[in-house]
Amino acid sequence: MTAFLVRRIGFAFVTLFAVLTLVFVIVRIVPGDPAQVILGDQASREAIEAMHERLGLNKPIVTQYAEFLGNAVKGDWGVSMVSGRPVMAEVLNVLPWTIELTVVSLIIGVVLGVPLGVWAAVKRNRFFDYVARIASLLGLSFPAFVSAIILLFLFAIEVHWFPVISARSGSLGAWAQSITLPAINLGLISAAYITRVTRSAMLEVLSEDYVRTARAKGVPSGSVVWRHALRNALIPIITVVGLYLSILIGNSVLTEIVFSRPGLGKLIVGALNQRDYTMLQGMMVIYTLAVVVVNLLVDIAYGFVDPRVKLG
Amino acid sequence: MKRIFAAVLAAVAMFAAGEAQAQKKTIVIGMGSADAGKLDPHIASTTPDKGLLQYMFNGLVRIRPGQISPDTIEPDLAESWTSNPNGTEWTFKVRQGVQCHSGYGEFTAEDAAYSLKRAANKATSSYSNDFSSVDKAEAIEKYTLKITLKNPVAGFLGYVANINGGNMVCKKAAEEMGDGFSKKPIGTGPFMFAEYQPQQFVRLVANKQYFRGAPMLDEIVYRYIPSDSSRDLAFQSGELDMIYGKQDQSWVDRTKQLAGVKVIAMEPGEMSTLFLNITQKPLDDLRVREAIAYAIDRKSIVAFKGAGTSREAVSVVPSGYLGTDEHAPLFPYDPAKAKALLADAGYPNGITVKSIHTTLTGMQTFLQAIQAQLKKSNINLDIEEVEHATYHAQIRKDLSPLVHYQAARFPIADVYLTQFYDSASIVGTPTAVTNFSHCNVANAEIRAARVETDPAKQKELWKTAQEKIIKAVCGIPVYEQLQLWAWKDNLELGYDLKGSLNLAPPITEKTHFTK
Repeated sequence: MTAFLVRRIGFAFVTLFAVLTLVFVIVRIVPGDPAQVILGDQASREAIEAMHERLGLNKPIVTQYAEFLGNAVKGDWGVSMVSGRPVMAEVLNVLPWTIELTVVSLIIGVVLGVPLGVWAAVKRNRFFDYVARIASLLGLSFPAFVSAIILLFLFAIEVHWFPVISARSGSLGAWAQSITLPAINLGLISAAYITRVTRSAMLEVLSEDYVRTARAKGVPSGSVVWRHALRNALIPIITVVGLYLSILIGNSVLTEIVFSRPGLGKLIVGALNQRDYTMLQGMMVIYTLAVVVVNLLVDIAYGFVDPRVKLG
Repeated sequence: MKRIFAAVLAAVAMFAAGEAQAQKKTIVIGMGSADAGKLDPHIASTTPDKGLLQYMFNGLVRIRPGQISPDTIEPDLAESWTSNPNGTEWTFKVRQGVQCHSGYGEFTAEDAAYSLKRAANKATSSYSNDFSSVDKAEAIEKYTLKITLKNPVAGFLGYVANINGGNMVCKKAAEEMGDGFSKKPIGTGPFMFAEYQPQQFVRLVANKQYFRGAPMLDEIVYRYIPSDSSRDLAFQSGELDMIYGKQDQSWVDRTKQLAGVKVIAMEPGEMSTLFLNITQKPLDDLRVREAIAYAIDRKSIVAFKGAGTSREAVSVVPSGYLGTDEHAPLFPYDPAKAKALLADAGYPNGITVKSIHTTLTGMQTFLQAIQAQLKKSNINLDIEEVEHATYHAQIRKDLSPLVHYQAARFPIADVYLTQFYDSASIVGTPTAVTNFSHCNVANAEIRAARVETDPAKQKELWKTAQEKIIKAVCGIPVYEQLQLWAWKDNLELGYDLKGSLNLAPPITEKTHFTK
């Protein structure tokens, strides 16, 4: 286990380094100039050049890279080129919002998706199976921002149950009220995803010999499904949930925008539009770390679910 | 039982009445951007940032709230001013007893001089260009500021008004905080910075010591809501009192139908101009440029954009600016003539012109409409769409022979003419601003008008400049887009709103809710 962890962390560093270098180069190759964004369209060329000097963008790219890595090692990710606020502070400020939305919507996805998928597999090619399959297909193909607007229209305008601006204030009640709609919006999509994966994983397991044996020796049908079959179907489900977790972190941007919530998605889109190099670099570290950590957790979870999987 | 019921009813009624009488003291404004930028008045250049900063800052003079014309300039931090006959020496009497926010002390001529130097400094200001003619700004007495100019400047008072570099910062605060000033801007305006929540809002509180009197509102919450639909919905649900509109006619029509809502299309109009690079083939041929000008139908563009929110351009300078020729000889729509000119220039089968353009929706639909119009005159507009920052970078590198640009500027003809048509501003040169066409036909008039002290002669020079530019077809002005806003009709602004150079309606000490 320890050797495994050490190796994985080693890999994580290599990945992180590669991603950082790529991001550093790519953002500078793309046309567009942060100085122009900061100073606006009335600024003269002279003013733009003065700003380049201030931001250190007039130095050779190799020097910039060396300085950037040197500071990064010290844990200093610099300040946002556009807002002037420290990158890590900006990221950490909105990170909790993204995490809470991701976690709550994933819970909704699992709670809805796993039972639906199991049930659809058991009732294969029967009425309920068709309903579940069509519903999940709908959930997957429906654009998140459209469902978000529909949710807002129904539950914030037609009936005033929830606020349009979903940003919490103080009490637990206010928090619950503000996270409900965005989490349902993302949760339904992940539920659709999980339903499909659970269903196909279950179908495979249900046709295995040991399931037939269990049935033959008279194990109650519920127990066969939930204890024998589902446990063995969990590995693909966990893989997908893990993968989906990293997708969710990135894909929450539309949900954040429509529900007026702070979040990483909004931050990265803003940084891209404004060519905020330092901010983009900081964000990439966070994203890469998130993906690495999630993958690590998934691998560890395999070991718990299936004792045959050895980490080492 | 009955008695208890009656008592409960009475209590509820009293509570409800109390609720209704308690006047609303906080205004929540919904802005169409994802987050705040650098909240420094000398740096800020975007609509959201300028709109917010205006609540916190004053100029030496100000354009009357709700107006945009320099004719309405009135005292702000300066009570009075004089200048020598040729306009190179200005003396301002600074109002006594004005307090900077958060206990930074009294605002004096010292602060004013500091602020102007800061605005003129390339390292600390986006607007240093505006002050290139300022030789000295000095506090000659505690309340007397003297500004010496290297040469007369057309409409100089506009540069010390409450917009861009004219906003007055407090010296002690700016020096103490340095780069941190944008995190807690300190001015003298009716509202003071209180709180910033990333991607959510900036909260301002009333400056009870404001020199024009304590504001009637207690708070401004300036919320960042980038999605047009979400802003509309939050406005509809009552979570917002005032919103920045989606900039198109359908939004106006829809929003006007809501009960208790005021919708306004205000000045300034942002003018769309098509700049033609006169140094590149085939646009270097005047006949080709004239053909393009004849191929454009301004009237149908306005019909397309919405008559209530847009209007036809009148000259190469937007309408209503000091010096605009409101009846300039623009080319009429005449596709037959366009075709004839092209044939004459050796292109009987038409031409293809490339344009690099942004994907911003409002600008995009406009250029597509232009593309359809040009097609009728055998002019094929090849639009290459790129993301907004890329567009800004590439049009400054002469990569787009036809550039569509949308802009409003300080309403004096000189600013527009200098930035877009003076050869010193040609993109790619060290003094570049936004002369995309490489226009150089009216340098003499533009430069002479800048230092002309006789208003009549100055106007004549500007008029000639506009005629020359139109004739040379450096730019084809098409239409002007007004700024769209909506608010609850229980909000009394306290002035007549015609427009705002800071691009958001001013919230003054007199702004309040009537219920």
